[in-house]
Amino acid sequence: MSDVTLKNVRKSYGALEVIHGIDLDIRSGEFVVFVGPSGCGKSTLLRMIAGLEAISGGDIGIGGRVVNNVPSPQRGIAMVFQSYALYPHMSVYENMAFGLRLSKAPQAEIDRRVNEAARILQIESYLSRMPKQLSGGQRQRVAIGRAIVRDPKVFLFDEPLSNLDAALRAQTRVEIAKLHETLDATMIYVTHDQVEAMTLADKIVVLNAGVIEQVGTPLELYRSPANTFVAEFIGGNKMNLLPVKGSASGVALPNGRTVPFAGSDLSHAVTLGVRPEHLERVGADSAQISGAVEVIEQLGEFAIVHFRTREGDEMTIKLGGAPDIALHEDIHVALDPAVGHVFDDAGRALRAPAG
Amino acid sequence: MKYQLHPWLASNLWVLVALAIPAIFLIGALLYFTGWALAFSFTDLELVGRKAVNWSWVGFDNYARLFTRRGFLESLWTTTIFSFFSAIVGQSVLGFLLAATLRTQRSVLRGVIEATIMLGWLVPDIVAAFLWSATTAQTGLINNLIITPLGFEPVNFINEFALPVVIIANIWKGTAWSYLLFSAALDSVSREVVEAAKVDGATAFQRVWRVILPIIRPHIATNMLFITIWTFTYFPLIYALTGGGPGRQTEVLAIFLYKQSFMVGKLGYGSAISVAMLVIVGVLSLFYLRLLKEPK
Ligand SMILES: Nc1ncnc2c1ncn2[C@@H]1O[C@H](COP(=O)(O)OP(=O)(O)OP(=O)(O)O)[C@@H](O)[C@H]1O
Ligand SMILES: [Mg+2]
Repeated sequence: MSDVTLKNVRKSYGALEVIHGIDLDIRSGEFVVFVGPSGCGKSTLLRMIAGLEAISGGDIGIGGRVVNNVPSPQRGIAMVFQSYALYPHMSVYENMAFGLRLSKAPQAEIDRRVNEAARILQIESYLSRMPKQLSGGQRQRVAIGRAIVRDPKVFLFDEPLSNLDAALRAQTRVEIAKLHETLDATMIYVTHDQVEAMTLADKIVVLNAGVIEQVGTPLELYRSPANTFVAEFIGGNKMNLLPVKGSASGVALPNGRTVPFAGSDLSHAVTLGVRPEHLERVGADSAQISGAVEVIEQLGEFAIVHFRTREGDEMTIKLGGAPDIALHEDIHVALDPAVGHVFDDAGRALRAPAG
Repeated sequence: MKYQLHPWLASNLWVLVALAIPAIFLIGALLYFTGWALAFSFTDLELVGRKAVNWSWVGFDNYARLFTRRGFLESLWTTTIFSFFSAIVGQSVLGFLLAATLRTQRSVLRGVIEATIMLGWLVPDIVAAFLWSATTAQTGLINNLIITPLGFEPVNFINEFALPVVIIANIWKGTAWSYLLFSAALDSVSREVVEAAKVDGATAFQRVWRVILPIIRPHIATNMLFITIWTFTYFPLIYALTGGGPGRQTEVLAIFLYKQSFMVGKLGYGSAISVAMLVIVGVLSLFYLRLLKEPK
């Protein structure tokens, strides 16, 4: 049993409260990602689970036991830090063996576990090197190796990939996913990168300013964000948000056209959200929204076209391949109500799009 | 790789020459004086009298005297005790402990302690000597505040515990340096590395002993190098406080050297003492410099 439960967890620094009562259940073996903008409290929350930061209020349980006052080493956790935090004066082997040495494990046991971890991470060939003789990616593996050797019930990662270049980050991301598969341990992973969150997580926890905005699987968050914050944060390309006027049968766009939504009362709607990949480029005669192209981001596989509507709203549309369009040209789009998100004046979602 | 001059310097070589002149003079003067001390140490030159003019070469007589006559070995022992307890144990350990405990604090206490040890550093030696002899005298602060109220007879500390008083005075005087150096060293240790050790199960003592100290080892060696050299050749505070006495209890090498050279007047013997001190400090420095190097 290695589930993690947070009950009304709070953290204050002096008079300043930075975590405002977090409730969360993490099941044994789950891969949970905390994601949110910088300063929202992800690291603080992780460090409280690790036992590196005192808890100002509430309870943290690991494996069914409240651990509020249990010191880190006895919590059955291992942590991988953003800066790798390798001991600079010890070889790779000694870095990984340090925890076992402290707990007076027999040498044969240390050898076995360090070599096992080195094998999983393919770092056997540089066990005798010093950390400063390693590249960033190799150091990251050693840091993960040090965590594996502890054989923890719960792995904690604090932005472990943020110091790696893009290619290595993609590769290590896949390796961490495989590792989770192999080890079958609970993993809690902090990042501000929504791609990492989407690709790794069984469950994503979106944090903002010390509170949870939404918890769900990657697809749930993508398909039915609970509010405008999650809607904008999750997804490869930022969702378009348009001011609208709600009515019983649908919403009225800034240009007066109505998008009909059957079956739900949207009289409180003030915002319509639609992802760039869900907008459709159409001819002038069937356009719902028209505007002029301002920027074209050509990525080869697809292009992100930024345009300004006649009413002055900025929007983006994702078009496959290399679209036949030029700067300052007119662009006309249509949207299918099935993919529209509607939010009230507090930013809460009023209806989830179908599928 | 060949050393490349900055293009601007290469076309204005006179700047380099001009900058080198003071350095050449300084090094020249140092070598000149060391050379003279070395030369004198093989003579029976005296400060006044017949041998001030008609001196002669005496070979290694002065060096033999270091070991055959009373004085040098005793002073060497006193200096070793003094350096070990005031510099290595006192300033270094106390400086480290203060740096380690105070760095997480933002209290009035920290301000007070920092101000106190800085004051020790900044006060001129002679003033410090006066302060210490005033506080430790029979009618001084310590007797009036502590010893007498407890019902004991007042103690003349400088007479009865001369070496400990001198050692404590020098700890007070020199801890600021070690404190500053270790504060900077501890700031350079990554917080996450220490936290990783905590998660790995290291106790506070193990975190210091097995993680922090090895990481700041070069800083420790540098600090040891400096304070050993300073303390080993230290003169003014001790001389002003005790003059080397009572008897020869606090006669460290620097005072022994001074007395032999300028009170007894044996300049040749004094030179031999200074050369011996140079050699001892040199050997100690080599030892510390080895510590500075990374282990294999
Ligand atoms: N020791 C501290 N004293 C006071 N405030 C702190 C302290 N540590 C963190 N905070 C505050 O707590 C909030 C959360 O910080 P935290 O480090 O958890 O953010 P984060 O989500 O991890 O951000 P990032 O993505 O930049 O790492 C921030 O507003 C920060 O200013
Ligand atoms: Mg953080």
